[in-house]
Amino acid sequence: MIWVETLINGALLGGLYALLGIGLALVFGVMRVVNIAHGEFMVLSAFCAVLLANLCPSVPPLLMLIPVIALSFAVGWIYQAVIVNRVIKSPDPLAPLLLTFGVSVILRNVMVEVFGADVRSLQVGELSRASLEIAGLNIGIMPLLTLVLAALLFMALQLILRHTEFGRIVRATADRRDIVRLSGVKPDRVYNYVMGLSLALGAIGGVLLAVRSSFTPFSGAERLLIAFEVVVLGGLGSFWGALLGGIALGMAQLIGLKIDPNAGLLYAHLLFFIMLLIRPSGLVSSKG
Amino acid sequence: MPTRTILAASGLVLAAVIAGAPFVLNEGILRLATECLLLLTMAQMWNLLAGYAGLVSLGHQVFIAFGAYALFLTSGWLEVTPIWVLPVAPVVAAVVAAIIAVPLFRLREAYFSIAMWVFAEIIGAFTMKSQAVGGTSGLPLPTSKLIDFDWFEPTMFWLAGALTLGTIAALYKLMISSFGLGLMSVRDNDLAAMSVGVDVRHNRFVAFVLSAAGCGLAGALSFMGNLYIAPLAAFDVNWSVYMMFIVIIGGIGTLEGPILGVIIFFGLRELMTGPLGLSGGWYLVGLGVIAVIVMMVAPRGIWPALRDRLGIRLLDVQRTSPRPAVVLPSASQQIAG
Amino acid sequence: MALLDVTGLQIFYGDLQAVFDMNFTVGNGEAVALVGANGAGKSTFLKALVGLNEERSGTVHFDGIDISRMPAEEVSRLGLIMVPEGRLLFDSLTVEENLLMGTVNRRSGSWTLRRVFDLLPILQERRRMVPGQLSGGQQQMAAIGRALMSNPRLLLCDEISLGLAPVVVEQIYRSFADIRGEGTAVVLVEQDVKRALAACERVYCLLKGRVSLTGPAREMQPEQLTHAYFGN
Repeated sequence: MIWVETLINGALLGGLYALLGIGLALVFGVMRVVNIAHGEFMVLSAFCAVLLANLCPSVPPLLMLIPVIALSFAVGWIYQAVIVNRVIKSPDPLAPLLLTFGVSVILRNVMVEVFGADVRSLQVGELSRASLEIAGLNIGIMPLLTLVLAALLFMALQLILRHTEFGRIVRATADRRDIVRLSGVKPDRVYNYVMGLSLALGAIGGVLLAVRSSFTPFSGAERLLIAFEVVVLGGLGSFWGALLGGIALGMAQLIGLKIDPNAGLLYAHLLFFIMLLIRPSGLVSSKG
Repeated sequence: MPTRTILAASGLVLAAVIAGAPFVLNEGILRLATECLLLLTMAQMWNLLAGYAGLVSLGHQVFIAFGAYALFLTSGWLEVTPIWVLPVAPVVAAVVAAIIAVPLFRLREAYFSIAMWVFAEIIGAFTMKSQAVGGTSGLPLPTSKLIDFDWFEPTMFWLAGALTLGTIAALYKLMISSFGLGLMSVRDNDLAAMSVGVDVRHNRFVAFVLSAAGCGLAGALSFMGNLYIAPLAAFDVNWSVYMMFIVIIGGIGTLEGPILGVIIFFGLRELMTGPLGLSGGWYLVGLGVIAVIVMMVAPRGIWPALRDRLGIRLLDVQRTSPRPAVVLPSASQQIAG
Repeated sequence: MALLDVTGLQIFYGDLQAVFDMNFTVGNGEAVALVGANGAGKSTFLKALVGLNEERSGTVHFDGIDISRMPAEEVSRLGLIMVPEGRLLFDSLTVEENLLMGTVNRRSGSWTLRRVFDLLPILQERRRMVPGQLSGGQQQMAAIGRALMSNPRLLLCDEISLGLAPVVVEQIYRSFADIRGEGTAVVLVEQDVKRALAACERVYCLLKGRVSLTGPAREMQPEQLTHAYFGN
């Protein structure tokens, strides 16, 4: 029974992991850039939520998601417009990778200096401890809400991309950056919105992860690696694949923690690496 | 005078300077110089992979750690002075690289970079769990009692100096050989290189293994100098950050670039953490800002921009400009202006 | 005044110059053929007109507006629309979505999805398919349809018959009658000189980046054109 509970909790954690991955996947899918600073931006949004929660103690902490999402969107827009767009047309495919890595180092160390290296978390009071009992299984409310939220967000994103003009423009830009210009679309502008959206999604994941477990300015790397593994395991371009990838990683992590309480993310990393060994064709073909 | 003579002569002068330096410099400066030289070697190795073979590794710290742990453990088992078991470090790192290349070489670009990082994280996590290698608390150098401490700092400096000069000479030789030309054609254009019969995979593999071996040796020397190794320090992703920043700022895909990069790296560190009294965090922020600005205004780094502007050629192994020359002139103007 | 008026246009590719001192005009509603051997600079010229190649000098006026330095995304709004060589549809969009991309920043006009489907009925049948499921000819029709959705005043067609069966080419050329019926001017870049001459009023021949011959299509002597085309 305890293992069933572990598996279910792993699946619920997977919803959160999928949220970490989806923003990264969106940016990669549209502009072929892996934003290495994605994890640091998530941590930054968690710091913002904690700061806001401390400023307004009477407001429920989870409501801080709303301003943080808005702020993250703006930050993403500016980040893309000022920095990433400058190198995106480079003939060297490594340029955006190196640039976003540089930005991640800057962000991480600014956070260390400004917020200190202490361990933090976002306290949401009762909600984080509340749980449901179904057929003798203890299921946390917060993880359940997270998974439902992740599924809803994925559906919304799917609808936007499939059925709105904005979505059509985004997909067309991803297909042919030059030819959309003939239709009057500015690719750089599209990228700005996409990065904004990506960091807004990342902010949701980052804040919810800050509720579930603690974080430091150094947590960005962990979050990036999880996000990346989710995207690769799930296959790019598929939101439901990302959800499955997240669930697999969540389960691997919690099973690992049951065996060895100090394992951290080791088993999630191992699962990813083993998949890399046995299913390379899937990985390579998903890169497009 | 032909270039080769000049190069050989300056190599000899540098060797003489390195040989004599410990008799002039005090111990603190000597330690700093050793650190500079080792980091320069690592940066050259990272550059061999990124600048010439087109593979960015964000997990190169794993080879530093493998080299260093190999040295510590072997020296303990054999109970001999660590200097004599130094050759173990590059061999172990190279073997690990050759094995890990099999799955990793199926991946390209960012996939390769991050998969390398995940690999480093996995090995780091296992190291912390394994009591045989000291777990989280790490290992002291078991044979440190065999070291002659009167000569320790000078010896370390000489080893680092020899390694640096040897690396640069070897890389120069490598790059003017047909292997180097093949490698550079791979960087510039995969398909074109393949179509003229360059074995892309093989060249990448050789560069990867050499790069790992060099980092393993430099890492072993670096931790031998500390007489102590711990996993958090050995598997620190900042090793990759340093190597990358040095190469990016100085000039990717050139032999001179990392030299310039190391000077800026340590110059800025001594300036910011010394007279300016700032913390290490702010130093990394400053370095990162410089790297990001360089990437935006002079994507090939400072050295190539300077070289094109001033017409200097030192260890230049490029036959032709590998990329359309549209970016560089404006970039160098911006630096000057 | 001419609809499109190009004076002294020079176009570069890095260190190479692709087009030299080009003068070119298209009148309202006129059809102009642009012929020349491979590498003569025809495609380069079209790309430069719509702003896809930014290394250019000289002046380009469209409908009296100076578009010499205008980026591609703004040119389309004026009604200067290109059908790029090789179709270049959006692979993950359906045929209908591809057509709708033509409406993003369009000039007002009479073209609608309905009218494009009437002109090219096969597209309606295939509206839910992605380009990968279409034949080359159907893809070419979709690319033309996408351009029409922007309500062009001047349609630039780059090698639209390349690699297509003669029957399909015939069908595409027939649709030009309807397109021109709207008062739309057309520039046809063609390898098939005969077909281009038959469809157009005037012709320009490019040779190694320079105009080697220009005049009314009807008055072209074959040997004169051969000379201008091959340069011997």
